[in-house]
Amino acid sequence: MTVEFEVNGHMVTIDVPEHWLLADVLRNQMDFTGVHLACEYGVCGACTVLMDGEPVRSCLTLAVQAAGRRITTVEGLASEGQLNVVQQAFIEHHALQCGFCTPGFVVTASYLVNQNREMTREQIREALSGNLCRCTGYQKIVDAVEEALRRHQATDPTAEDN
Amino acid sequence: MGYIGQRMTRVEDERLVTGKGRYVSDITPPGTLHLAIVRSLHAHAKITGLEFEAARNLAGVVGVYGPKDLEPIMRPLPKGMPDPRLRAQMPTPLAIDRVHYVGEPVAVVVAENRYIAEDAAQLVEVGYEPLLAITDPVEGEHAPPIHLGSQSNLAAEVHYMVGSGAAALSGADHVVEVTLRLGRVVGHPMEPRGIVAIFNPDTKSLLVYAGTQGVHGFRHSLAEMLQMPDNRIRVVAPDTGGGFGLKTRIYAEDVLAAYLAVQLKRPIKWAGDRREEFMSTNQERDQVHYAKIGVKSSGEIVAVVDHFFQDQGAYTPSGIIVPDTTAICIMGPYRVPHFEAVGKVVYTNKVSVGPYRGAGRPQGTFVMERLLDHAADALGMDRVQIRRINLLTPDQFPYHNGIPARGASMTLPYGEYQKTMDQVVAAIDYDTFRNPVQKGDWKLGVGVANYLEMSGGFGFEGAKMRLLEDGRIEIATGSSSQGQGHRTAIAQVAADRLNLPFEQFVVVEGDTDAIERGIGTFGSRTMMMTGNATAQAAPGFRKRLLEYAAQIFEAAPEDLHWDLGRISVTGVPTRSLSLAELAHHAASENVTLEVAAYFDAVGPAFGMGTHGVVVAINVKTWAIEIRDYRICHDGGVLVNPLLVEGQTIGGTVQGIGTALFESLIIDPESGQPLNATFLDYLLPAAGEMPDFKVTEVEYPDPTNPEGFKGVAEGGIMPPMAAICAAVENALRPWSIHADTLPVTPSDLFYQVAKGGIQ
Repeated sequence: MTVEFEVNGHMVTIDVPEHWLLADVLRNQMDFTGVHLACEYGVCGACTVLMDGEPVRSCLTLAVQAAGRRITTVEGLASEGQLNVVQQAFIEHHALQCGFCTPGFVVTASYLVNQNREMTREQIREALSGNLCRCTGYQKIVDAVEEALRRHQATDPTAEDN
Repeated sequence: MGYIGQRMTRVEDERLVTGKGRYVSDITPPGTLHLAIVRSLHAHAKITGLEFEAARNLAGVVGVYGPKDLEPIMRPLPKGMPDPRLRAQMPTPLAIDRVHYVGEPVAVVVAENRYIAEDAAQLVEVGYEPLLAITDPVEGEHAPPIHLGSQSNLAAEVHYMVGSGAAALSGADHVVEVTLRLGRVVGHPMEPRGIVAIFNPDTKSLLVYAGTQGVHGFRHSLAEMLQMPDNRIRVVAPDTGGGFGLKTRIYAEDVLAAYLAVQLKRPIKWAGDRREEFMSTNQERDQVHYAKIGVKSSGEIVAVVDHFFQDQGAYTPSGIIVPDTTAICIMGPYRVPHFEAVGKVVYTNKVSVGPYRGAGRPQGTFVMERLLDHAADALGMDRVQIRRINLLTPDQFPYHNGIPARGASMTLPYGEYQKTMDQVVAAIDYDTFRNPVQKGDWKLGVGVANYLEMSGGFGFEGAKMRLLEDGRIEIATGSSSQGQGHRTAIAQVAADRLNLPFEQFVVVEGDTDAIERGIGTFGSRTMMMTGNATAQAAPGFRKRLLEYAAQIFEAAPEDLHWDLGRISVTGVPTRSLSLAELAHHAASENVTLEVAAYFDAVGPAFGMGTHGVVVAINVKTWAIEIRDYRICHDGGVLVNPLLVEGQTIGGTVQGIGTALFESLIIDPESGQPLNATFLDYLLPAAGEMPDFKVTEVEYPDPTNPEGFKGVAEGGIMPPMAAICAAVENALRPWSIHADTLPVTPSDLFYQVAKGGIQ
C-alpha cells in the first residue's frame, strides 16, 4: 500500500507491502543504513529511531504505522554538517568502538537530552538499558551522555531543573 | 612529535556517529539476490529427504539448492590451525546425509529479497531420522562417535608437564581439589556475520565484502573452496561491527554465497540475523575442570594439576587453540615448580567451539585463581596473602615457566607483580571488606584475582607506506579493525616515527588489494605487529623520499633536510619541496613512492594485572550487584591510553557477562538450545554495570622494538574469578561455592536451600 510520512525533514511517499518493517524500508528503500538491525525483536535497540520525537524500535514497527508521522534517524540528527551535542560527546569520550550499536544509542541519548531533565549517572544507565553494546562496557557512553546533558543545559535557556 | 601516549580521539568516529558507517549488511549492489539458509532442527539426525517444490514455486524465488545441486563445493571447509594432536572434523557447506548440531545448514534459498528468501526457507521440507544426541563431553568421550567413520569422540588430548607434574603432589602438605565448570558463551558481536559476493563474468573475478578479521586468510580459504586462484578474488572487510575472534575464519554461508554468485552471475547477499548468531557462529568457554593444587603449610605452591574436558561441539574450525591456550595459561603470574595439564577435547552435537575473546586465557586464569582461593581457605590463610607468597618477584625475571615455546621455554619479562596487586588491594579497600559487611538485606564481599595477559607472538604483519598525490601518506595493513581504532593508533605511531603531523596519515585496512600479504586481527596482535611494521617502514620510506627529492634537486641525499613535511637542501631554504609538491612531481614522472615493511613476531608479550571487586548480595532475593571495581593493567608502551581504557573496560564487561549472566543452555536429551534469544540469554546492559577505575602501569615488552603489548584480552581474563571470590566472601556464613559459571541468584538460592545455612 502507499504510505506518506516525514523522514529527517523530507516528506516521502512509498509503496510498501503491509508486512514490511519500518527498519527494512528505511534501510533498503531510502538508504538510511545508519538504522542498524542486530536482533530484530526489539531487545538490542540498534534500530531505534524517533517517531514524532519519541524513541521507537523500527524493527518492531510496521512501515505502514509511520503513515502521517515524523521519523528521525541517526542521519537526521546533525544539521548542516554540525554534529549534535550527543554525537560530539560520543567522539570526545570514546563512547563507541565498532560503532554498530552507536546509532541506536545516539538516537536514544538525543531524546534524553531533548527532555531537558537533570539525570544522575544511575538514571542515565537505567535510561540506556534498552540498548545493548558489546564493545565499550557502557562507562564511556554514560560519560558522553552525562556530558551532553550538561552542555545542553548550559546552552538551552528552556532547560529545567528536573 | 609525541603522539604515542596521547589520548587522541578517533578518526573513525565522525562517520560512525552520523550513521555513515558502511557495514556488510549496508551494501546492496543493483541486482542483488538474497540468500536464506535452511538449518537443521535436530542436534543429530539422518536426513531422509529434502523437498524443495513448494519453496521453488513461491514467487520471487530464484533457486533452492541442496548438497546434490552444489556438488563442486561439497568438500570440507579448510582446516583452521591444523595440529598433529588433532583428529579434525570440518563441515561441508551443506550437511550431507547427516546433521550434527541444531542450526547446521541443510539447504539454501536464493530469492529477490530477504522476506521471500526466508518465507521460502520455511517451505523447504526436510525429513529427519533423529539419532542419539551427545551433549556431555565427559560422558561423550566414550559414547558412540558422532562422526561416521571415526573411532571416538575424542578429538584431541593436550598435555603439558613442567617439573615432575602430578607426581609432585605427594610432596605437598595439603592438596585441595576443585571441580570448575564454565558455561557455553556466545560471543555476540552486535553485527551478525554477513557477506556480499559480486562476480564479474568478463574477468572471472570475484569481489567479496565480508566482516572478517583477516581478509587474506579469508580469501585463501574461499579460493580453495571455489578452486579459483587467490588473485582472482578481492576481499574487503568494510566497517565491521565487532569480531572478538568469531569472525576469524570462513564459514559455510561464505562459501555458499560466493559460489552462487559465480553460478548465477548476480550479486549475492547473506546478512545473518541474531537467531543465526546463536545457532551457527562459533561458541566458547564450555569446559569442565578437575583441578588440584598442592601447597606447603606456608602457602607456597608445590604443584598444580588439572584434568579438563573441552566440549568442542561438532567441528574444529580453529583446531584446538582454545583448549591448548587454556592449558598454557593456567600457571599465570605465579611460580609453579611442578605443573601438569591434560585436556580432552570431545566432539558433541552442538555448535563448534572457536576462539572468543581470550580463547582459553580466561579459562586458565579462572582455574588458577579459584585454586588459590580454595587453598587459602583450606590453610586458614588470607586469599590475598597466598597470592603475595606465590607471585613472581622482580629478582626472578626473566622467568622460564617451563611451557615449551619455539624450542625453548616460555619466558616472562620483567614486571612488579606484587606492587600491581597491592595497588588494587588498597584501592578496593580489601581490609574493610575481607570480613563480611552487612548493610540491611545486603551482604558485601570482596574478591581479588590476578592474570597474565599473553598477546601476539605469532606470524608477521605488514605496513605499506605510499605518498598520495595530495601529500598525505597512506599506510596499508592486512590487519583490519572491528572497532579497535587502528586507523587512529597506527597513524600515531607513523606520525612519531616520521616526525610529521598526525593528520598527514591515512590508514587503509581490510582490503586484499591494498597490501599483498597479511594475517589479521586476533590474539591482541595488531599494535605489536602492525605498530612495529609501521615504525620499521618509516626510515626506509623517508630515505626513499629523500633520494627522489635528491634527484629533483640534483643534490646528494645526505645534503637534504627533512622538516615537518618539507624537504630542503641544507643551507639553501629557497630550494625546498612540500610532500604534496614532491607527490605531484612523482605523479608527473609516473613514479610511485612506496615502501613496505613486514614485522615478524619473536614471541608473545606478557602483561600482568589485577582486578578487585566488591559485590553486594541481597539475602532475600539473592540478587548480585557490583558495588566497586578496580583494575590495574600493564599494557606495555601505550600508544593511546584512551583506546586502551576502552579495550580494558569493554573486555571486563564481557568477562562479567560470563561470570554472572551468559550461558547457552542446551537440553541434555535433545541437544536443543533452550535460551537462544536476547530475551533469555542475557548480555550485560548499562544498568547492571558499574563504573570501573582503571590504573595503567607500563612495563615495555622486550620482544619488539617499540615495547608494545596487546591489550584486548586482559580485561576478560580475571572478572570470573574475582566475582566468584567476592560472592563466596560475602556469603561466608553459608558454605556456598561459586565454582560453576555463571553464578546466578537462583544458584545461590538453591545452594542455601539445600542446607548450606550453618
